[in-house]
Amino acid sequence: MPGKHVAGAPDEPCRRCKDKISVLVVRSEPLCHECFARYVHTKCIKRLESFRVNFGAPEQQRRILVPLSFGVSSVTLLHILDLHLKTQKSKTGRTGFAISVLYIEEPDQPLEAEELLHKARKQDPDHQYASLPLHDVFRLIPDDASIRNLVPQLEHTNDSSPQEQLARLIDSLTSATARADVLTTLRTRLIVEHAKLAGCDSILWGDSTTRLAQRTLAETAKGRGFSLPWQVSDGESPFGINFHYPLRDVLKKELISYISMSEPGLAALVHETSSGVTQASTSSKNTTIDDLMKQYFESVEENFPSIVANVVRTTSKFEVRPGAASDPRCSLCSMPVPGGRFGIHGWGGDQEDGDNISSVKPTRNICYGCTRSIPKLATNTNGN
Amino acid sequence: MAPSPCALCKVNRALILRPKDHSKLCKTCFIIVFETEIHHTITTNVLFTRGERVAIGASGGKDSTVLASVLKTLNERYDYGLDLILLSIDEGIKGYRDDSLETVKRNAEQYGMELTILGYEELYGWTMDQVVEQVGKKGNCTYCGVFRRQALDRGASRLGVKHVVTGHNADDIAETVLMNLLRGDLPRLSRTTSIITSTPSVSADPLSNTNIKRSKPLKYAYEKEIVLYAHHKNLDYFSTECIYSPEAFRGSARALIKNLERVRPSAILDVVRSGEDMVKLVPGSDEGCGGVCSSSVPAAEENEGGCGSAQGRSTGGEMATVEAQLRHNEIAAADSLETEITAKSVNGKGNGNGKQPGQHESGTVILSNDKKAKKGFVPKKANKQVMGQCKKCGYLSSQEVCKACVLLEGLNKARPKNKIEVGDEVQDVSLNSVRDEMQATSIGGA
Ligand SMILES: [Zn+2]
Ligand SMILES: [Zn+2]
Ligand SMILES: [Zn+2]
Ligand SMILES: [Zn+2]
Repeated sequence: MPGKHVAGAPDEPCRRCKDKISVLVVRSEPLCHECFARYVHTKCIKRLESFRVNFGAPEQQRRILVPLSFGVSSVTLLHILDLHLKTQKSKTGRTGFAISVLYIEEPDQPLEAEELLHKARKQDPDHQYASLPLHDVFRLIPDDASIRNLVPQLEHTNDSSPQEQLARLIDSLTSATARADVLTTLRTRLIVEHAKLAGCDSILWGDSTTRLAQRTLAETAKGRGFSLPWQVSDGESPFGINFHYPLRDVLKKELISYISMSEPGLAALVHETSSGVTQASTSSKNTTIDDLMKQYFESVEENFPSIVANVVRTTSKFEVRPGAASDPRCSLCSMPVPGGRFGIHGWGGDQEDGDNISSVKPTRNICYGCTRSIPKLATNTNGN
Repeated sequence: MAPSPCALCKVNRALILRPKDHSKLCKTCFIIVFETEIHHTITTNVLFTRGERVAIGASGGKDSTVLASVLKTLNERYDYGLDLILLSIDEGIKGYRDDSLETVKRNAEQYGMELTILGYEELYGWTMDQVVEQVGKKGNCTYCGVFRRQALDRGASRLGVKHVVTGHNADDIAETVLMNLLRGDLPRLSRTTSIITSTPSVSADPLSNTNIKRSKPLKYAYEKEIVLYAHHKNLDYFSTECIYSPEAFRGSARALIKNLERVRPSAILDVVRSGEDMVKLVPGSDEGCGGVCSSSVPAAEENEGGCGSAQGRSTGGEMATVEAQLRHNEIAAADSLETEITAKSVNGKGNGNGKQPGQHESGTVILSNDKKAKKGFVPKKANKQVMGQCKKCGYLSSQEVCKACVLLEGLNKARPKNKIEVGDEVQDVSLNSVRDEMQATSIGGA
């Protein structure tokens, strides 16, 4: 959050330029304003090796998608990418890629999408900007029948607007964790769909180290350990488009400092929508698994940043089996499910004995984690 | 509030909100369903064979007491044909085991099971008190941990028993999964999630290689349900489990698990499921064996839920150590990367303390030096340990001589001991207060 006091900034000279006075301590190094900015930029740009100017095919401009949530991470990422393009342009007269920016409007969100996008456009005018309502996921995904099957149907209507479908799906979920989980999943799928339609070959996500560590443990806790190789790695994703996390080496707290020290125009773009600074929710009813992991890693990164980084590094050591990408997909999260083991039954931890055999055969093709979020068969009318 | 009927029998009043799925059950149905689920675990994983002699690792605590009680019940109900015995280990800490061993002795009578108590003295030639006297209080937890890991197997092989069952529950497994992710320890992740593990025995002939099988029939049972079962069956157990507070990573993981359970009761089971799936993703794992080869997973360095490091008490001591080590590796890697770049670029700024690439410690933490490793499909450096047998005792070990033997050698060399003050610091810290403390310290009171 802008204005957050930067702790422990001593009156020491900057460790890097050895000239200016340091303004904050980054991983035990006191740094000045400029050296800190360079530190963040370098960590990000180092991850953009594959997005260099392609002199071989000048007529073909690569296009990448940056999902913008107006949080510190995605705002910072877009800003650094913009600077990077300007550098490329001034050095070579060309750029390595063009940027499409996408904002997803979530239901019941007070954000004024138009206004924010207008501000973003003013800040970085060279990109394409778009904004989509989340329920468009029901409109855009080509084989949306499988997703639509998860929406509880009203008896008399076969056709309802995507907006209604989203509302009905979310209303049918029984916990805050499930709602957050399904919303995130749908958001990802919509972003992917839009990226493909916009002709992008890659999606550049703003996730910080902290955020990736958080996701690792959250997905583990939600029973999606099987999908971890796909959750935090750069490169091919199961969605037929590349995923990159250029801020993977920068901590969340460093991004917060970055924004708080940046020019006012940039800081003004930041709107932390999801409850801002993570606080322990007073009731466990409203707390989600994602919240828990967020709180946990925001506290760990304070004193143990390398442990946070190591969680992410460890997770990226997981290997998928050859051919795993052609495993049957979960209808909701679209992750390849090894051996098509859908649902929560039929494993050691499912201790129900014989008499409940019917429940062992999954009637929907959704993965273990998604089944925990949408436990009940949404509709009886289409009778499997 | 109107009393609701039991969800299963629909006759009795529901008195128990089942921790695992929040179903409302009567006492009788809860006990039956709890036992039946463990029977299910036993049969689907084929844990036992008829006529087998099985030693229950008994500490007098709730887990092993419930395990003994349930196994006795199931053995009679379903006619497993097992010869069940109790095996207890006495670390030789004055006063510490007195009450719990008394409990185990009563259990032996209650269940009509043969009981053997083996001391560290007999197993290693040293009691923990003697070790502490020798090495001081600081380092003794290394010994306690290493000795404890082998004690049950060594004990079983003394008795000629080939199968030891332990009371590890779902909470323990889930905790271990999160802990190993936090520590970045993938090999150990593989070793701790499987329900059956085995170790070559400590037989007189190291070549005999008779396996001691270890299994965890309570692997999918919630700790809270174990406590409920013990309570409703009026089991006689001793509530102090371990005098040491858990090391920081375990404490941290434990607090997370408790919070997760509060938010979503199935989460403990879900973490266990994730752990099982993740094992197949660890480089060099025997994936695709359909669980058949799971019995080949060595248990040698398996982490025993109980005892942690001595530093646990000084909050975060272990985490700080790991952080420092990782930080050190990062700097070394950055330096080596920098020297590479400097060497390549024409006018790089000289790097005074530039280390050679690859000079940095090859700890458990391997830094991927930004190689453009292609996603997933290309096998990355597998961190697989090759397991062999200790030359001295025959116990499974990744080294030529196992840790216990190395420690023993050191102890025995220094035998005429230099007297060090022994503090009488054995505290009775109840499990719950330790947990609450960890919870309070590690997650900012969620
Ligand atoms: Zn500087
Ligand atoms: Zn799914
Ligand atoms: Zn009942
Ligand atoms: Zn040995």
